Amino acid sequence: MTIEEAARLLDARQISSAELTRQCLDRIARLNGKLNAYLTVLEDSALGQARRLDEERARGSVRGPLHGIPVAVKDVFCTKGVRTTCGSKLFADHVPDHDAAVVERLEAAGAVLLGKLGMHEMAYGITSNNPHFGAVRNPWNTDCIPGGSSGGSGAAVASDLAYLAMGSDTGGSIRIPASFCGTVGLKPTTGRVSRYGVLPLDFTLDHMGPLTRSVRDAALALNVLAGHDPRDASSSRQPVKDYLPAESSSLRGLRIGVPENFFYDRLDPAVERGVRGLARVAADLGAEIVSVQVPDIAAINAIGRVILLSEAAAVTAPYIHRRGDFGADVLALFDQGRLIAATDYINAQRLRRLYQQEFRKLWRQVDCLLTPCTPTPAPRIGQTELEMGGNKEDVRLASTRLVRGINVLGEPALAIPCGFSDDGLPLGAQIIGRPFEEDVILRAGAALEEATDFRRRPPEEDSPQRRGGRGD
Amino acid sequence: MKNPQQAAAAFAPDIPAEQLARIETPLAALEAAFRPLVGRIPHETEPAYLLAVAPEAGA
Repeated sequence: MTIEEAARLLDARQISSAELTRQCLDRIARLNGKLNAYLTVLEDSALGQARRLDEERARGSVRGPLHGIPVAVKDVFCTKGVRTTCGSKLFADHVPDHDAAVVERLEAAGAVLLGKLGMHEMAYGITSNNPHFGAVRNPWNTDCIPGGSSGGSGAAVASDLAYLAMGSDTGGSIRIPASFCGTVGLKPTTGRVSRYGVLPLDFTLDHMGPLTRSVRDAALALNVLAGHDPRDASSSRQPVKDYLPAESSSLRGLRIGVPENFFYDRLDPAVERGVRGLARVAADLGAEIVSVQVPDIAAINAIGRVILLSEAAAVTAPYIHRRGDFGADVLALFDQGRLIAATDYINAQRLRRLYQQEFRKLWRQVDCLLTPCTPTPAPRIGQTELEMGGNKEDVRLASTRLVRGINVLGEPALAIPCGFSDDGLPLGAQIIGRPFEEDVILRAGAALEEATDFRRRPPEEDSPQRRGGRGD
Repeated sequence: MKNPQQAAAAFAPDIPAEQLARIETPLAALEAAFRPLVGRIPHETEPAYLLAVAPEAGA
């Protein structure tokens, strides 16, 4: 069930928030041992919050479509009085005295907070195979990673353990788990959603956004999350829109760019089939499909890595002497960052400006881009290399190859399902838009979702090794 | 990034030798991808972030 569907039942008094919350908590109790999606479950406070929201509704006061909807947040968002670990031993006992802006906004909108979700250590990786809190597992095949760093968010939404899960995305960490878990994931434009109260990995690449079961649910979430926050220096004053797309599924008048270079190189054939299939669906819905040349994304990725390695090393400088408290993979990244010269970091930020200017020229030709999100379905836990077209590629670099650059540029990007691999794992596409035009990519995504049936196949909880077939 | 061994000796001597050996390869790959880009930056190009000075409260 989506948020929209649950909200209709709540409005019709066919179900209460307490019942929805109880259902989620029961599923968490049944499945979390397998998936390890939640680090902290707030059973008592969630049920209390749901009952209060039901009373409020009974008095005729409804805050909006999220009123009474059970949600969860990645354990990178500060929660007042509730442990916030960042998936790290450094913060294992960290109990913030304030809520993140995102948590404030969700609660003000009437969402019920179910708990805190597992993640890659320090949000610095794509496996969510956490050495301190255990591996988060992919609901479609528990031998596979859910992606990361917001792996618990992807696993929770895919397996109906929350209606909405918040993630953070520095180099693809919302879109990669969305792609590997078969959910929707939205990385908004830089500055659109406040970073206040989020334990940072980085200062200029971090973005906050929702993972949901439908594109329209992501739009409902953005309606709540978007807006200026003076506590976040990067927060934008750009006016907020109504992001919920119209019910019409026509894409008439929309120019969708399909890159001729980079994005369709070195893909699992099933991914390419899935995304090109979506392009045909878009054309059938009236969109104009335009072949385009995109700027050098490999260069933008290199620029992004210099920036991320440098800024993340700066963030963790006060803790780096506690080497034994870091997992091997993140420690290797922090150590790499310590060896990058200040001049290289500054030149990366200068190159970033140049490539932003170059990329923005694309928007004269098209309204959005349709690309693959990850080049493959979810790798197995512990897998370090992927093989595509006879070439081996590091799992982390391959999985971030198509998404990292968008964080450097700042554009909004939406991950949506586009099919399944031969062995039943979800595949993901990405729609990239102009800055602050989340409404455009949500419109395109909602129409494509409506015209396909990829989101209507949730994993069956009792057979995580499931292969294909239509779910409930 | 240009010479991780020298950089580590100067700025991060606590990085163990085996770790340094492990991270040299990815740093060399990044160096190869990044260094040619630096030569193309026009002289007047500013970084993608700039300091914004807010007026003093009450001003």
